[in-house]
Amino acid sequence: MTRPAAGGDQHPLEPRMAKRLAEVVGSAGVVTEPGRLLAYESDALTRFRRSPRAVILPRTTEEAARVVRLLVEEGIPLTPRGAGTGLSGGGVAVPGGVLVGTSRMDRILTLDPGRRLARVQAGVVNSDLTVAAEPHGLHYAPDPSSQAACTLGGNVGENAGGPHCLKYGVTTRYVTGVTVVTGSGEVVELGGDGRCESLDLVGLFVGSEGRLGLATEIELRLVPRARGVRTLLAVFSSTEVAGAAVSDIIAAGLLPAAMEIMDQGTIQAVEASIFAAGYPTDAGAVLVVEFDGTEAGLDAEAEAAEALCREAGATQLRRARTEAERQALWQGRKKAFGAFGRITPDLIVQDATVPRSALPGVLARITEIGRRHRLRVANVFHAGDGNLHPKILFDRRDPELVERVEAASREMMQACVEAGGTITGEHGVGLDKRDYMHLVHGPQELEVMRAIQGVFDPAGVWNPGKMLPPAPDGADSQDTPGARGKGADGAEAKGEAGGEPDAKVGVEAHGGADENTRWEPSSVQEVSRLLAYTSRTGTPVRIVGRDGDPNSGARLRLVASGLPGEVDHAPEDLTVTVGAGCPIESLQDRLAASGQWLPLDVPCSRGWRVGELVARGEWGPLAPAYGRVRDLLLGAELVAGDGRVLQLGGRVMKNVAGLDLVRAVAGSRGRWGAVTSATFRLMPMPRAHAVLAWEGDRDAMRDLAGRLAVHPVLPASLVRVVAQPRETDSAGDGAGGTSVRDRVLVRLLGSSPTVDAEARELGTDFPGATVWTSQPRGPGFLDDDPVTQAVEGEAGEGQGGKLDHEEGVLLELRCGTMNGATLEGKLARLLPSGRPWIHLPLAGVWRVSLGEREVDAVDPVSLAGLAAELRNQGGDLCALRGRVPGLGRPEGPLDLLERRVCAVFDPAGVLDTAPILRGGAGSDAGPRSSPEAK
Amino acid sequence: MSAPEGGTLGLAGQDEKLLACVHCGFCLPVCPTYRVLGDEADSPRGRLHLMRAVAEGRLPPEDPSFHIHLDRCLGCRACEPVCPAGVPYGELLEHAREEVSRIRPSGVLTRLLLVAFGNRWWNRFVGTKGRILRATGLPAWWGSLYAGSHHGRPGGVGDAVRLGMAMLAASAPWPGLKGSAVPVADPESPDGSLDDSTQVGSSVEGLGRVGILKGCVQQGLFGRVGLATRRTLAANGYQVVEVEDVGCCGALHAHAGRLDEARGRARRQIGAFRRAGVEWVAVDAAGCGAAMKGYGALLAGDPEWADAAAEFSASVRDVSELLSMAGPRPGARVELRAAYDPPCHLLHGQGVSEPVHDLFRAVPGLTVVPVPDGGRCCGGAGIYGLTQGELGGEITREKIRCIHDTGADVVLSGNPGCMMQIGGGLLRAGIDMGVVHPVELLDESYRRAGLYGK
Ligand SMILES: Cc1cc2nc3c(=O)[nH]c(=O)nc-3n(C[C@H](O)[C@H](O)[C@H](O)COP(=O)(O)OP(=O)(O)OC[C@H]3O[C@@H](n4cnc5c(N)ncnc54)[C@H](O)[C@@H]3O)c2cc1C
Ligand code: SF4
Ligand code: SF4
Repeated sequence: MTRPAAGGDQHPLEPRMAKRLAEVVGSAGVVTEPGRLLAYESDALTRFRRSPRAVILPRTTEEAARVVRLLVEEGIPLTPRGAGTGLSGGGVAVPGGVLVGTSRMDRILTLDPGRRLARVQAGVVNSDLTVAAEPHGLHYAPDPSSQAACTLGGNVGENAGGPHCLKYGVTTRYVTGVTVVTGSGEVVELGGDGRCESLDLVGLFVGSEGRLGLATEIELRLVPRARGVRTLLAVFSSTEVAGAAVSDIIAAGLLPAAMEIMDQGTIQAVEASIFAAGYPTDAGAVLVVEFDGTEAGLDAEAEAAEALCREAGATQLRRARTEAERQALWQGRKKAFGAFGRITPDLIVQDATVPRSALPGVLARITEIGRRHRLRVANVFHAGDGNLHPKILFDRRDPELVERVEAASREMMQACVEAGGTITGEHGVGLDKRDYMHLVHGPQELEVMRAIQGVFDPAGVWNPGKMLPPAPDGADSQDTPGARGKGADGAEAKGEAGGEPDAKVGVEAHGGADENTRWEPSSVQEVSRLLAYTSRTGTPVRIVGRDGDPNSGARLRLVASGLPGEVDHAPEDLTVTVGAGCPIESLQDRLAASGQWLPLDVPCSRGWRVGELVARGEWGPLAPAYGRVRDLLLGAELVAGDGRVLQLGGRVMKNVAGLDLVRAVAGSRGRWGAVTSATFRLMPMPRAHAVLAWEGDRDAMRDLAGRLAVHPVLPASLVRVVAQPRETDSAGDGAGGTSVRDRVLVRLLGSSPTVDAEARELGTDFPGATVWTSQPRGPGFLDDDPVTQAVEGEAGEGQGGKLDHEEGVLLELRCGTMNGATLEGKLARLLPSGRPWIHLPLAGVWRVSLGEREVDAVDPVSLAGLAAELRNQGGDLCALRGRVPGLGRPEGPLDLLERRVCAVFDPAGVLDTAPILRGGAGSDAGPRSSPEAK
Repeated sequence: MSAPEGGTLGLAGQDEKLLACVHCGFCLPVCPTYRVLGDEADSPRGRLHLMRAVAEGRLPPEDPSFHIHLDRCLGCRACEPVCPAGVPYGELLEHAREEVSRIRPSGVLTRLLLVAFGNRWWNRFVGTKGRILRATGLPAWWGSLYAGSHHGRPGGVGDAVRLGMAMLAASAPWPGLKGSAVPVADPESPDGSLDDSTQVGSSVEGLGRVGILKGCVQQGLFGRVGLATRRTLAANGYQVVEVEDVGCCGALHAHAGRLDEARGRARRQIGAFRRAGVEWVAVDAAGCGAAMKGYGALLAGDPEWADAAAEFSASVRDVSELLSMAGPRPGARVELRAAYDPPCHLLHGQGVSEPVHDLFRAVPGLTVVPVPDGGRCCGGAGIYGLTQGELGGEITREKIRCIHDTGADVVLSGNPGCMMQIGGGLLRAGIDMGVVHPVELLDESYRRAGLYGK
């Protein structure tokens, strides 16, 4: 807190420079007056203050890129700034630096209710997007308490969370694409819903705290507004008791949208403010629980939660009867931070996440630490996520007090980390937690983060000194902006970190390193040793999930299926850590014993091990409702291409400590190394399960699927199966033949009353459905449900069984701006007769499986033509499994970026990966000789 | 200049109030100037931060940045109700402006206006002249010059004059309200006497004795609103008593940072109403109401007046609040589609919203449509449109666009300044839409119902 304003060293921007900038953004967009700049000296964490040398306010991506180029030329470091509501000092200028603000980039560019997508400029305020989406029955789900003020760019910068993230997930789940101005002033489009997934650079960017560049435009997923909501307030004698009630609610398999606890200190602050919510001021703690979803099931859920609260010792229970009452309850919670303004001159908000089951212990320790340092500590937390926000009240004018506050803060962080937690769940590292990063990350992990940062920003101009502690050799220290300039070299130098002198011995024991050799290591150490060897010797190696993986082939390969697969399940935390060698089915078995499951339904994935599941990052029809692998993954252990054993992420629900390497490890497809274990967040097993199926002709089913996609009932899955007549079936030609019928299937999961009501509603609104129901008692309950059968059955048709894509191909198409019917017409002409496909309307994706013989029947030129056409219209076509010659796309700046990121993990470029992705698609390029090769 | 008795000087002594700001930023998106300019120095948090820097001695009060960004503040106080820390922005702004006024004398325009409105005789003179000028139709013509086009340099002198003329024209009663049924006598007889049979001093149900602030603009150009206030209050059972006219409430002076003058005016008002022995002080100009509710804070440091001021402030009510407390009784049908644009000083300054809707509910046939982003200032902050032409113009244009989008027949607003600003803006945009005070509407409804005995 005493780190003073270093204002002195901030000499104003040269007038010449200011003039050039004004030519780009207009004079109103350049702030250089020292007095005026004072307004920008801190974000919402006021203890770090530094006036910028200037603030530049561009209005478009183009302006931003020009601004960046001008400043970078002069070696001036830059910091992105949204609304400055950050709580870690992320949006504060660095020494000698300027701020690039997004306040004038505040337009919502497009809002597509059918696809539930919005494209916005980075400066759009979070709640403004929800207001704009509301007329379409949609909203933007992540709801940080600051949502009325913070920008979506800032949310991306911090990977912001919020109370309702318990059910809906944090920012990264909703960002599908980002337009970024990198450190060289180049504009790159990361991701984009219309594109087939590749290395998840969007996942890397979200939460990068302005260190990878400036987001100027963001593509975001919207979700339907829940139709019903129940909000209840339970009063307890202490936070510990309230915390126990939270555990009971989770243990009972209930899934509230939000669970928030406030302690007495917070209650009193809130009640003294204009946002008084009517919390009893003598209570030890209050718990706010909210359920949302389909009306029918809500009362039962709320009653169940109330009963659990009562049993846990709630002294009073209240349910909001009107929307106004509900708003009052929430306003109190959301304005809690500000409410302290009237009772204390200064305030520190901590932010840490611990496994939920550790909450009571950690709370007790925090209380003890506060007491020992004679401090006033209040607590407010996202209890469902285990995300704590202890608030320390103080007065910065008292230096002795300030010292005690600092000591206590550090001890609190330490306590959280010791309990298996992390140092920040949503506020970010910024300047505040930078020195705590080593508590949760080892030197290797930090080095990887620094190297990735260097890929996006080789000259180190973006927000230097934030988030990542300086490298031991002093590079990236905040006093030497511009010191880095050599891309991923840092990582290259350390390329042999995992190597041991006797690595060769390990290799011999595994049968040598010739082509055709099959290594099957049985421990992480062995994997590390083998990869260190291949990296050092430049021996190409391919990591495959199991024998029979279509990616095997005649080359040196490391088969991961022999790795340990032990399951460490924490039912009370709804998490599991599992070794890479564990078959998915065994994992689900174990989870089902505690009434939980990992909600993934990757088609034709039987026999896969967890490592392969993560590395492939694929998803099935459940994804729009439950998330993809990337969304369910909390942490992973990765043996990098050079043998380094890296621990990515953690075991907690929310974690923004440093660059997010976890999203991108899902779907890294052996390009980073071997995934050796993974930690997932789980869901309670649904109580009821129903599938509704309709049959009809092409147009009717297409129309039905379209209407179901915007229907307020949000299904667990929505699939349209498009049948194709065989030549022998119908005399007529191709599509629309009368003898085949298309189908639409809707899968519903949830509590019995909910599923019943939703099935009834859909049955009424769309008559003619066949209904299938089951009670998901055991694992694999989706295996024989009609949706799985449809998706996998169609895949296997013509193969005399289910297709495993061992030899065949799984194509994925995205239509972009092309009309879906047009796309299907083209597809019908292209595919062999009788080959059906599926359409996943909620994901905007078409998928076709082709058997080995069928692949040969497809004209590669026409297929490549369709791919080109789709890409021209913002869509895409790729082979998700298997390979088709000629599907590659021309190399773009993104490929280079991807390759450089991969080179951070595999500096020698020896990992020989299945060429299914962008750039490599279609051509089996083999190993790269150098990571920088174009 | 020494600290006056009971007063404070500038920002000194405001530490605790400034410290209450936790820098959370909740006030940014509601601030019209930040929304338009995107500069945090033109946001409430930024302005407070500059004030704090001055108070801490880190920024000299002479720094032009301090002045520029305070000048640009509309004083609309939209930043107050969203502030979880309860920072009294409006109050601090007045202190900051006092700080500024010590260093830099007010501009000519400001001084002229303060004289025009601050002095009772001048006020009357200007008001009469204004009405005569308005009657010629000249202002309407002048003000609508370049209507809807981009001619004329925004922010220039010509522009300011055009704006002034448009505002003057807009202060006229909306002919649409009366329909064609009954011809009305000059609704603004200069002496303020009643033009109908409503008896002052009589009360049916005894809701209490009410004195009405006469105010400055209100009397001059909006006499009809004052009359409507009297009639509707009386019709709802209040006993309306005469209060000596002591002129301006001091709001304009306070906003300009001339706190001593404002305090003097406050004392005068308090005295006048005390002598009249009223229970309630009714105000039909939201800006004045907000200022008078703030007398308690304004005179808190004055041992002699502090208690009286607090007591006085507690008795101040917007006319809609008093009407709401009484019901208000329903009138006859007035078929209108009206857009309600709440004045900042009512919504944010006084936190009054529901009572106005109670008033609307008493008018059968009235359809009230909300103005999108209705809590946003119209840009009519006192003389803002004249001193900050370009920025004010942009803020007003945005408001006019939102109002136009409602497709309503008429705009309702309970503050004369806003009525003129919006009316002027509509005129300049070439949009034919009237501006009416909510009590005027209720008054008309009562008239049609025959409540006034005609
Ligand atoms: C009262 C209060 C409550 C809060 N509640 C929550 C909460 O519930 N959950 C939560 O997660 N956070 C919360 N926060 C923290 C804060 O609001 C979030 O971190 C928010 O995402 C910051 O957004 P911003 O627009 O203010 O960004 P800033 O503070 O301006 O910047 C935040 C970081 O993002 C970077 N950044 C900003 N814009 C861009 C861009 N366009 N491209 C790249 N980087 C960018 C900045 O460099 C900085 O590192 C709260 C803060 C306050 C004051
Ligand atoms: S009073 Fe109005 S213009 Fe001034 S800072 Fe507050 S919101 Fe902005
Ligand atoms: S809302 Fe209040 S506490 Fe928050 S920044 Fe604005 S003035 Fe300060």
